[in-house]
Amino acid sequence: MKDVLHLIGMYTKTTAKSWFQYRVDAVLKSLAVFLREATGIIVIWFTLLKFDDLNGWNIYEMLFLFSLLFLTYGIMIIFFTGLRDFGSTVRSGNFDRFILRPRGLLFQIIFVNSDWFAALGHGGLGITLFLISAGKVGIRWNMYNAVYYIFTVAGGVLIQGAVFLFLATLNIYLLQTNSLKGLIYWNMRKFAGYPISIFHKAIQFFMIYVMPFAFVNYFPAQYLLRKDDMSDYPEIFMYLTPAVGIVMYLIAYLFWRFSIRFYKSSGN
Amino acid sequence: MSFIEVKNVSKTFKISKRRSGVPGMLANLFVPKFEKKEAVKNIGFNIEKGEMVGFIGPNGAGKSTTIKMLSGILYPDSGEINVGGYIPYKQRKSYVGRIGVVFGQKSQLQWDLPVIDSFELMKAIYSVPDDVYKKNLSRFTEMLDMSGFIEQPVRQLSLGQKMRADIVAALIHSPEIVFFDEPTIGVDVVGKETIRSFIRELNEQDNVTMIFTTHDMQDIEKTCKRLIIIDEGSKVYDGTLSGIREKYGTSRQLDVEFGCMEDISSIDKVDIIELENNKKRFVFESRDVHINELMNHLLSNYSVRDINISEPEIESIIRRIYNKEVVEA
Repeated sequence: MKDVLHLIGMYTKTTAKSWFQYRVDAVLKSLAVFLREATGIIVIWFTLLKFDDLNGWNIYEMLFLFSLLFLTYGIMIIFFTGLRDFGSTVRSGNFDRFILRPRGLLFQIIFVNSDWFAALGHGGLGITLFLISAGKVGIRWNMYNAVYYIFTVAGGVLIQGAVFLFLATLNIYLLQTNSLKGLIYWNMRKFAGYPISIFHKAIQFFMIYVMPFAFVNYFPAQYLLRKDDMSDYPEIFMYLTPAVGIVMYLIAYLFWRFSIRFYKSSGN
Repeated sequence: MSFIEVKNVSKTFKISKRRSGVPGMLANLFVPKFEKKEAVKNIGFNIEKGEMVGFIGPNGAGKSTTIKMLSGILYPDSGEINVGGYIPYKQRKSYVGRIGVVFGQKSQLQWDLPVIDSFELMKAIYSVPDDVYKKNLSRFTEMLDMSGFIEQPVRQLSLGQKMRADIVAALIHSPEIVFFDEPTIGVDVVGKETIRSFIRELNEQDNVTMIFTTHDMQDIEKTCKRLIIIDEGSKVYDGTLSGIREKYGTSRQLDVEFGCMEDISSIDKVDIIELENNKKRFVFESRDVHINELMNHLLSNYSVRDINISEPEIESIIRRIYNKEVVEA
């Protein structure tokens, strides 16, 4: 165990050291991610100034909804950068190197590399939005709330991690899954910034049962905010995020274990 | 039981076959067509502990696939592989700690960081004890003359320096077996010599088993006693380097310089090649043509100024094996 922690420390140190080789670039990259994502929020801000609310959600409640999305992604990408980039790792043949080292494969994928630029950009935006909105949406923070919040964030991280793991595993068969990721992850994520109750039933179905972003931010936000549109959904959905995360991750992990033996090394 | 045992191993890859044009692209999408490529066909060999073996063969012959199966990266489709009591692809984690792999074309060093940082990372990955690490590091850096650049970022190193650093990175955990996949590719003559003598020394002093693939015959000649030639997935030769001459190198060539332009159109079972300055080359199999008869014939019928007889070089024999021009003697 001590040995494993030491290795994780070494991986992190190595990543950080490479990062500090280009300090200015590092700061600018994080800032660029932050601003790119913030632009979308600013557009919504000004739109909502004209409308007051969206299906009962005011601007601060919307920002709170967004903050969960960005915060979970920021944390997720610290651990799952290797899965995001797994396609290129396979194509370049670098995955062979992981196989040649006496450590778990998924362990190496997770800890060898972390995209701190994305983590700081997304996570920083998530925290900023949380700080702006949390005091203005009428949540009375207490121990229960806080514990709920922590578990639900962890669940949201696992849900997205599971999707990344699943898509990474498909690389073993297809070598290239970026367009699929764009289709089912990034496109659906655009819907996830809004209360899902405003969408057509088909989209809602997709957001709950297929790519369950609703459990990343909508239902957790509902637990804390209790908006009227929650009456459209079973109440239990507000408590399921950690369970959905664990189940999805487990399924993705089993798929990974099953698939890894079909790995074909790329030629020279 | 040998240290490394490979029995009847085969590996087939499925390669998707692309059709061209727009209809072809659509067809690829919906009805992908696959072609089977047998990368390795029924290969078998044994290697003893401490042996140094060179694998050679043309591009795509199956060398890399064989190395990848031996090192646990690929599962063979059929056959058995046993290395030092381990089945590489089944007992991966316990097995790979005992081997080192150098890919000449794929560095495992941290591009932006000083060389020493990559070594420290290897130490953590393989849980190398402090004293072993220090001993190996100081010994290898001295043998490979690396003290001058060990603190430099990898991106600033020359190709030869990088290769030396990569070799050390693969050896820092004292592996029992080392696989070298083209370890001298792109390295200059002096650098190649340093790497070869390092490999030789390590094999002699530590009894490390070494398996090479290379395209540079000099690598083999200067390091390995044993040679395995693979072509189109099959083993075509397994034996000593000198044995290859006895087995295949039965052709001889006779270069003759004549006093004037001679017109020798044909001699039975001898290939005649025109060279410049009234020189001709006569190539023949030593079992078909007696050399003294040929020389007598030339000396008595033509004015000969100079004569030179030579065996073919190893490299040209191997080229002819690849081209299927020679059969076993």
